[in-house]
Formats: sequence, C-alpha cells, structure tokens
Amino acid sequence: MNRKWFFLLLLTINAFLLSGCWSKRELTDLSIVSAYALDLNEEGQYVATVQIVNPGSVAGGLQGGGGQSLAPIIVYSVTGDNLSDMDARITKTLSRTPYYAHTNLIIISDELAKEKGLLPILDELERDSEFRTSTTTIIIAKDTKAQNLIRTLTDMEKLPSLQLNKTLETAEKNLGENVTRHVHDVVNDILSTGKEPVITGFTLNGDPEQGKKMESLQLAELEVFPQADGLAVFKNGKLINWIHGETARGTLWVRNEIKMTITSINWKKEKKAIAYKVMRQKTKVSATITNGIPKISISTRAEGDIAEVKVPINLTDVHVIENIEKELEKDIKNEIEKAVRHAQKDKSDIFGFGEVVHRTDPKVWKKIEKEWDNSTFAELEVDVKVDALIRRTGLRNNSLHTTLKKEGE
Amino acid sequence: MEKAKISAYQLFTLLLLFELGSALVYTLANGAKQDAWMAVLMAMVGGFCLFFIHYRLYCYYPNLPPMEYMQMLLGPVLGKIIAFLFILYFMYVAATILRGFGEMLVISAYPATPIFFINALFILVIIYTVYKGIEVLSRTSEVLFFVVSLLAVSIFLLIILSGNINMDNLKPVFEEGVSPIIKTVFTDTLYFPFGQMIIFTMILPYVNERKKVKRTGLLAIGMSGFVLALITAMNISVLGIDRTTRSPFPFLTTIQMIELAGFLERLDVYFILLVTLTAFVKLSVFFYVTVLSVSHLFHVKHPSHLAYPLGMVVLFLSMAVASNWTEYNQEWFKVEYVYIDPLFQVILPIFLLIVAFFKNRKKAV
Repeated sequence: MNRKWFFLLLLTINAFLLSGCWSKRELTDLSIVSAYALDLNEEGQYVATVQIVNPGSVAGGLQGGGGQSLAPIIVYSVTGDNLSDMDARITKTLSRTPYYAHTNLIIISDELAKEKGLLPILDELERDSEFRTSTTTIIIAKDTKAQNLIRTLTDMEKLPSLQLNKTLETAEKNLGENVTRHVHDVVNDILSTGKEPVITGFTLNGDPEQGKKMESLQLAELEVFPQADGLAVFKNGKLINWIHGETARGTLWVRNEIKMTITSINWKKEKKAIAYKVMRQKTKVSATITNGIPKISISTRAEGDIAEVKVPINLTDVHVIENIEKELEKDIKNEIEKAVRHAQKDKSDIFGFGEVVHRTDPKVWKKIEKEWDNSTFAELEVDVKVDALIRRTGLRNNSLHTTLKKEGE
Repeated sequence: MEKAKISAYQLFTLLLLFELGSALVYTLANGAKQDAWMAVLMAMVGGFCLFFIHYRLYCYYPNLPPMEYMQMLLGPVLGKIIAFLFILYFMYVAATILRGFGEMLVISAYPATPIFFINALFILVIIYTVYKGIEVLSRTSEVLFFVVSLLAVSIFLLIILSGNINMDNLKPVFEEGVSPIIKTVFTDTLYFPFGQMIIFTMILPYVNERKKVKRTGLLAIGMSGFVLALITAMNISVLGIDRTTRSPFPFLTTIQMIELAGFLERLDVYFILLVTLTAFVKLSVFFYVTVLSVSHLFHVKHPSHLAYPLGMVVLFLSMAVASNWTEYNQEWFKVEYVYIDPLFQVILPIFLLIVAFFKNRKKAV
C-alpha cells in the first residue's frame, strides 16, 4: 500500500516537472527580429538596428485590407560596444523580448567592415544558440548606412529582409555576379589562411528618409529601392576593395559558384552579337608544385544554349557552332584571368588557391603559408582552361537574320 | 549474483548503444585534426585488443563477476581494495557522463533550466531501470537499438542529401604523418569511448550464449567504431576542421546545417533524441554495474535496494564534479585520460590477466 502511494506521488511530481513549461515564451511576448544591421557612429561605437516583424500588419493581409495602413516592420536602433550588450539594451525600447531565431539577414555597413572588420562581430553570432549561422545571410551596405537598408520598405515582399534575401537569391541564380553568403561560410573563409571571403554588397537608390514611409510604396515606380551591387573583397577580415560586373563573375567562376549566367560574344564587328546561356558549369582548381613553387590550373567546363543571335549566322552548321564555342571559351577565359589579376593586385586570395596548395602538398604549404597573401599569391602563375559546350539553340534553328540576309542577296 | 540471463543479441545492442552514447556528442580525436576518423578506427582496433583481455579473464572465470575473481586472484585484502577502487571509478564516470549529458542539454536547448533538474529527472529514469534489473535494461536496449538505427540512418541520408558534405575538408590526409594520429589514439580516443567497455566484464557472466560472446563483442565494437568514424568524418567534411574542433557538440552543428527543400531544417531535436537514447543506455549500464559491484563487494542481498541511495550519490557527485563547463572538459583531458582511464581500463586488467594466467597454469600442472 505504502509503495502504491509513493509511486502515485512520483507520478504527480513528474506531471509538474515534465510538462515542459520551464522557460516557456509566449508568442505574444516575443518580437521576431527579421533583420539585424550594424553601423559605426562617429565615436567608433556600434549602432545596431533591428527590424522587427509587425505582427498585426503582416497577418492583416489574410483578412483583406487593413495591412496597408500600418508598416509591416518596426525598426529600433541602439548604440553600444558589443553585440550582446546592445541586444540587452534594446529592450529599453521594446515591449517584447527580441527573438533572433528567425533573423535571416545581417547587414554590415561598408564603413564598419573597412574600419573594424568582421572579426569583432562574428563570435557572438556563432556562440549564441538563437542565431542560425547556417541560414543567416550576411551582406554589406555599400555607400549607405546599413540602417537605411533595413528601414526601407519594399513592394514585392512585405518584409524588407525577405526582399533583400530573395533579390540576392534571384540575382545569384540568373546573373551570377552576386552570391549568397551565410555567416558560417564567412567564418570558414576568414579562418582559413588560404582563402578570403567575398560578400555581396547592396546599395540604396533614392532618399533613405522617403523609403521608410508607407506612401512611398504607392508608386508604380519606386523612388527608393535597394539593389544588389558588386562583391566586397576582404583581407584579414577587413573590407579592402569592391569588384563589379565581369570581374565579380570571373571570381565566382573560379569559386565554382556560378549557377546560371549569360555570356555574350562579339561576332564580326557586331558587339555582343551572340548570347550564350550557361545552364550548368563545373570548375576545378588544382595545384602543381615544382621546386617548392606552386602553380595553379583552373579548368572550367560550361554547358548551355544559344539564347540570342543578332547577326546572320548558320546555326545548323556544326563548324559554326564549334567556332562560337571557341570564341566563348576565349571570352570566359578572359573574364577569369581578369578576376585573377584583380585579386592578385589586391593581394587577397578570394579563390581559395591557398587551400588547394595546402591540400596538394601540406609540407610546401607550411613553408609558404606566412607569405602567401603578400607575395606568393600575388605572383602566382595561373593557367586557365575553359571548355564551353553549346548543347541546343532554342526554339528556332536559324535566326530571322539569316532569312533576311538571304532575301537581301 | 542476480539470477538473470541475457542473449547474445541483447549484449550486442547494449554494447553498441553503450559505445555510441555520449561519444556521439563530443569531438573525438581532436589532436588528429582532419585525420580524426582514422584515429577513431585505430582506437577501435585498440578496443579489440582490450576486449580480448577482458574476454580471456572471462574465459578463466565465466561465472564469476570481476569483484569476486579479483579477490580470488589478489587475495582478500588487496582484491577488496582494488574492487573498491573500481567501484569509485565506475561511480565517478557515471557522474561525469550524467553531468556531460546535462551540460549538453543546457547549452543546446534549455538555457534557462537549472542543470540540477535535468540531471535529477534523468537519473530518476535510470534508477527505475536499474531497479528493474539487467533483463529489463537489455530488453529496453533492444527496442532502442531499432529506434536509434532508424534515427541514425535517416539523419545520415538527410546530411548527404542536403549537399553539405565537402570531401575537400578531409584533405590533406596525413598532414603531419602518422605520429599525431597514434598519439591521439593512446592519449584520448582509446579510453573514450572504447576503453569504457571494461564495465562489460560485469555483464558478461549474464550472457546465456557463452560461445557467441567473442563474436558479438567484436561485432559491436567494430560497428560502433565504424559509425563513430563515419560521424567524425561527416562532421569534418561538413563543418571543416576548424569549426569541428571549436564546437563543443560538432554533430549538433552538423545537423543544424541541414537545409532541405526549404522546410526540412532546424532538426536539432534529432540530435537530442539520438543523444538522450544512447546516453540513457550508457548511463544505465554504468549505474547498473556500480550498484552490482557494491552489492558484490559488501554482500548486499538485493542489489536493487541500492539503486535509490547510490542514484542520489551519483546525482550529487555529478553536480560536484566540476564547477563549470571548462573545468569539466579539463578534467577529462588532464586527469581522466592521463591517469585514471589508463590505470583502470588498461593496466589493471592486464595485471589481472597476468596473475590469472600464472594461477591457472599452476592448477593445470
């Protein structure tokens, strides 16, 4: 009998202990931070700006209307010397505890990235169990304050953080001049002595003061909008230079991060006459070491279709296709070489050549590791081999230009 | 001696889950860097050797638990002292495992819960299991083996499908030659988790299929070594060597990296389930053997009566064993692996085997 009572007591205690509400947090007590921006003020202190989802406004869309009158986000700023301190101090203005598990965007101003670098801020992001380093994208605010990007309202997506993330993703998939970098990628690249990170930059077009007003969204053509712009090149954790356009794309070719892109070549005086759509590619970097001096070979294999033709050309002829392939190979090779030269001038190994050398011959790497960035990499001999393959020519065989030319003859 | 029997298959599941438990959580073979998986495999071979030592002793005394044959081999006084030291060792390791489990949960999932409550709840379950005896524990491990296999296979598939694996992270192989790997094996990986199977010398007398013990033991150690090497290699290939060594629980970080089809993400609970289930078996076996050893040494008739008081001792020991996470880790690396583990897992069993060899030779003559 005694035992039975004891068992019952145990069960009752468990009912209290196992119900899992020790450190419960109700949704109504949380403010969900969707993006986090970091700036530097004149005194050299950090300014953190959080973008919080406005629950009433975002959910309002379901009931129809209502949502338009309220801004979908609420933005607060705080000044401090480290991230945890600012996260705590921001609660002075917030009625609900900030919740960072859904923060999928971190914006860092170029000023901060240049002066203090990324190193002082990365530790907190890694250590905190709320932040997800594997899903949080990191971008650099170019020529504007990071807080301006975070408070600018956007049209397609209600949440500006989502807009920026999706813009970046789309540009990465279609153009190939930008790349999504999660916090953990950046940490890995910074820590490796043989690799430096590149991070996409975003600029803000228009007047930032107008961008935070709801009325600014009522125009068909927005006056204030963010735009992906170039890649930031880092060295020792600090931003040293920007690369744009073809150089940026060349860099991503080498890093094997091109998903899809359009390459155009000149054809008989006509500029950018033939457009080639790269559907998939594979780039391999390997190193050979002779007498302790490394040499890098890059081999790219691109596969794709003809996307556009502006000149009369016989696309039904295999030899013509082969000629176009050769021209394309030259063009891509040029692009890659340009990117390599640019990086060598910057003395920043953004391609991870050092890692390749390390993997190939750890003993040689040990000797050259210290002077890698400043001398060995800058003078490295790089051999580029491109193999461009045209698989298909789209829904037409020959272009209308070919017919026109025949009629004209 | 409790009148219980377990089958060879149950021994297999117990031993396998025992080896995986808590070894899944931590970074194994840190010193070998990207060759850590090789160090794990080498330690597994070392584990085979240790198993043979235990197995030989078991062959000499198939019906006697170690606490009894120690006294036969070394005389009642020395034998009792050594047996008592073994009990202290078992209890200490049980407490450290409990503490490590609690710390893992607090760090990864329950930041605001006091660790005492987590440890207390866990030890309560284990006390109950041990109270029920080895047969119940073995049958539980049979069921858990199925669940853990299912979890492990699905998590491996998810990691592979998510495309996070980058084999380049495992290169260069043998960066500094073989010596750091061997050094790591003998200062670290051999003792945790493989050497801890010393505890199974207490369980072996219960196995009813004597002939299958050797094969089963080797199979379980081999399989656990293989799984641990696979997990180690996976952690390094997903996270890179730097983040693997800087993470207290690299497997958790690896699982957090999974992102599939836009919605299969944040699978932390997988890790916690896997660790809880395997740690449950590990700690239960450790605690069961502690209770059994005490009852053998002090001739307590019903070992299960000791479960509650000793459970409280283990619980409070787990709280007292270290004052913080850093100290806890330091104890492993500076005390356990250096002094305690080699003594109890390697030196004493070899010593006992030598004595047993000579004593039994005399008898044969």
